[in-house]
Amino acid sequence: MAVCSTTTLSIGGSVFSGQLRHWEPNESKLFQKPRSRFRWLCLNDLHLLRFRTKTLNFNPRGSLLPSLYAYGKEADDAFLSKVNEDTGEMFDDLMKKYGEVVFRKNERKSPSAELDDDTESLSFAVEMAKVASDVKAADIRVLFVKPLVYWTRFFIIATAFSRPQIDAIGSRIRDLAEKKYGKVPSGDAKPNSWTLLDFGDVVVHIFLPQQRAFYNLEEFYGNATLIELPSETQPPFHT
Amino acid sequence: MIQPQTHLNVADNSRARELMCIRVIGASNRRYAHIGDVIVAVIKEAVPNTPLERSEVITAVIISTRKELKRDNGMIIRYDDNAAVVIDQEGNPKGTQIFGAIARELRQLNFTKIVSLAPEVL
Repeated sequence: MAVCSTTTLSIGGSVFSGQLRHWEPNESKLFQKPRSRFRWLCLNDLHLLRFRTKTLNFNPRGSLLPSLYAYGKEADDAFLSKVNEDTGEMFDDLMKKYGEVVFRKNERKSPSAELDDDTESLSFAVEMAKVASDVKAADIRVLFVKPLVYWTRFFIIATAFSRPQIDAIGSRIRDLAEKKYGKVPSGDAKPNSWTLLDFGDVVVHIFLPQQRAFYNLEEFYGNATLIELPSETQPPFHT
Repeated sequence: MIQPQTHLNVADNSRARELMCIRVIGASNRRYAHIGDVIVAVIKEAVPNTPLERSEVITAVIISTRKELKRDNGMIIRYDDNAAVVIDQEGNPKGTQIFGAIARELRQLNFTKIVSLAPEVL
């Protein structure tokens, strides 16, 4: 008999809710002592196990049973003595016993495959930056933001001085991406004072000069590494 | 589930404090707005002596709701309050900083600008 309930977990002020599943294997043969009730806590997104959930407290029957059991007979005996301790410490004990990583999804790529993807995106980004410089965009920066955000790898930030120029940069980037890489961007179709082209792992921002100063994305992503571009895309050096 | 007369907090530094929804943009008879929907709102409370002032009608994007957002993988996100970010007619956010965590659904709904200004994306 499986019982499902939803609970809200508060992490750092913002509320994040996951599905918690209670599972009672009454028919399990692994337990030598008769148990009336067994619950195994499982969260959908398992990295949540790392957070100290001091608010975690469900014992709907309000009985003498502890609210969380660990799987396995020896674990049961050890944990029965720690009924009243903090759940944070309980998780620490679980980590020590079973190791830091209990479950890893198979879809995680190996580091070398990640690096290949990064270099591919980098070459794409550098090529887009070159196209932008061909249309005389100013102050082109390519930022490697992968360590800061998970949803993209590179930002390209460029300044254009008029809307037709933004239009020109946007359409050239779109054409090149579609012809050479087969990527279609989502984002602004009409020229905008802040035009954004989203290619998945590369995001292109084209600003008018006032908007660039107003939004100041470089400051927000100040911790990102700046990628060196070939010298012809650098702004001319004025003596 | 934001509908007309709903009061929302403002989650950016655009100097408005509280908005009241007056219309949900989308179909003509659309009842409710969720995360990622554009609404027309009137400013009920604003920081004094700023460009945005009380009883001004503006457009906003909803970024957090008390009603839960469900994802296909079974994940459910529910915030503690209803909040929106003020945008202009072109779709650019009026403020320069966003406060709070943002759901990644906003990226698929073409609000990558808000996502790129967000401190954390869930």
